[in-house]
Amino acid sequence: MDPLRAADALARANRAVAVALGVLLVATALFVIADVAARALGRSLGGSDELSGYAMAIVTSWGLGFALGELAHVRIDLVRRRVAAPARVALDLLALGATAAVAAVIAWRAWAVLAKSLERGSRANTPLETPLWIPQTLWWAGLLWFAIVACACLALAAALLARGDRAGLERVAGTEALPGEAPPDGAARDAGRTR
Amino acid sequence: MIPGVALGLLALLALTVPVGIVLFLLGFGIDALVSPFPLSRGLGQVLWSSSSSATLIAIPFFVLLGELLVRGGTAARTYAALDRWFSWLPGGLVHANIGTATMFSATSGSSVATAATVATVAMPQAERLGYDPRLFSGSIAAGGTLGILIPPSINLIVYGFLTETSIPRLFLAGLVPGLLMALGFMLVTGIVCHLRPALGGPSRRFTTRERLASLRDLLPVIALFTVVIGSIYAGIATPTESAAIGVAMAFAIAALAGGVSRAMLVGSLLGTVRITSMIMLVILGAYFLNFALASAGLGRELTELLTGFALSPLGTLLLVVALYIVLGFFIETLSLMVATIPITVPIVAALGFDTVWFGVLMIVLVEMALITPPVGLNLYVVQGARKDGSLGEVMVGAMPYTLVMLAMVAALIAFPGLALWLPDTL
Repeated sequence: MDPLRAADALARANRAVAVALGVLLVATALFVIADVAARALGRSLGGSDELSGYAMAIVTSWGLGFALGELAHVRIDLVRRRVAAPARVALDLLALGATAAVAAVIAWRAWAVLAKSLERGSRANTPLETPLWIPQTLWWAGLLWFAIVACACLALAAALLARGDRAGLERVAGTEALPGEAPPDGAARDAGRTR
Repeated sequence: MIPGVALGLLALLALTVPVGIVLFLLGFGIDALVSPFPLSRGLGQVLWSSSSSATLIAIPFFVLLGELLVRGGTAARTYAALDRWFSWLPGGLVHANIGTATMFSATSGSSVATAATVATVAMPQAERLGYDPRLFSGSIAAGGTLGILIPPSINLIVYGFLTETSIPRLFLAGLVPGLLMALGFMLVTGIVCHLRPALGGPSRRFTTRERLASLRDLLPVIALFTVVIGSIYAGIATPTESAAIGVAMAFAIAALAGGVSRAMLVGSLLGTVRITSMIMLVILGAYFLNFALASAGLGRELTELLTGFALSPLGTLLLVVALYIVLGFFIETLSLMVATIPITVPIVAALGFDTVWFGVLMIVLVEMALITPPVGLNLYVVQGARKDGSLGEVMVGAMPYTLVMLAMVAALIAFPGLALWLPDTL
């Protein structure tokens, strides 16, 4: 499969994930507001703290992969801006490699949390007594997705490097152009970006 | 060991490894080299307990609130209204820039978002009316930094979360210094433009009728601030709950102004998830590094290192302040805060300083980091909204305003009451 088309497919999948997360955030906000309103009337729906916490965990874990695909994770590019193109490619691959490795370790270590909840049938220490495996499965799947996205980006970057496609490489592994800053290879980068 | 961690941090950052990933790697390094027992086994639990947080969900809520206001066109109307009120001063529209930035800071929790908002609506005016681009753009970069000082503030939420300090108290403590700094910015603008009128632009006058009519456009932002911040202090809502209410209000404001569309909503949601995820990777990394530093007993070593100079508490504090100013030239704001909070806050607290007060002091210091080159995010954001000219012009234009920030740092150290009076009184 053509690496650039694969990158597009990945970006589309991530976008769908992000819209779903946005909808989850809005739903959570509405529930929180309903809880405040109910409290003002002397009642409480209860559990809004607990449920919004689960929502935040899910938004966080699934969003990490989306932000990676969008090149949104903060990188200090003080050095990167001042070196020649081959060194820049090396830095990009190093950064992506480190991200993929850490993402994989995170997904592996986080599995232990979910596995323990499943094994013991743990429930939250709250009035809702939520079985923890439910939110933790959704959360862990997001961390797994982060690791998958990071490894996929690394594989795509390697394929693009092999083909000598600088613009494509910049799009998969580069840094987001700070607004107003002339990108290193302006025209090439514009051609390689879909946004 | 401490120099090792610091060197590792700087080296990995220079290699452009993402900041959040660097913090994780340092945590793993401490685990492998220092810790007597395996810390990484706790990693999953640390991540779950830190991210499943009803406190942190206030961050995406406040980001979404700001996105809705900007994309719904509220910013442009606010700017036009403040133009009518402030443009008679020496410096003209530059004061409207600062005023708009201040008002947006009161609804937005982010400095970059505030600067981007004001720059988008203000920059076309500078060209049309023939303003000197330097002071004009510099005032937007500097005014935008107020976003993280005047409540609500994402950075104060993160500070409160990491240091277990009351977020409502932090919000209140930021208000007076934030307003004073806005006044300071306007004062500096007035002085500069009085001495060198060419740096400003034409002063303009509007009739009282025009001014009063424009007040209507300020109402949405004022109402939003009153409800969001008021509900926290009235004890009706937690910061998270007030943020959720603010989202609903911002949506209503945009809808009433006819600024809501499907594309606008999807854009707001995608922007929110993107910014939130970017912030959360850094926070998760910092949380794990925090855990590793504490478990390996490095906290005490750090305190000993910094107190080993045998400086007075004030001397040590000034050393910390100097550290932030220097690091602020090179490291992005939130990363700077999150990476250093585990180290500096325990030391400062041990010396007997108030952590709410220190939170505000740290915010003013990182505001300076936002407008000092070479890495000053707001400079880039403002430059991005301009059609031509160089980044150097924005840097020069922002310089006078760093003096106000330095003055505020000194004032906060001399008079802690500037920050603490309001939270202590209410």
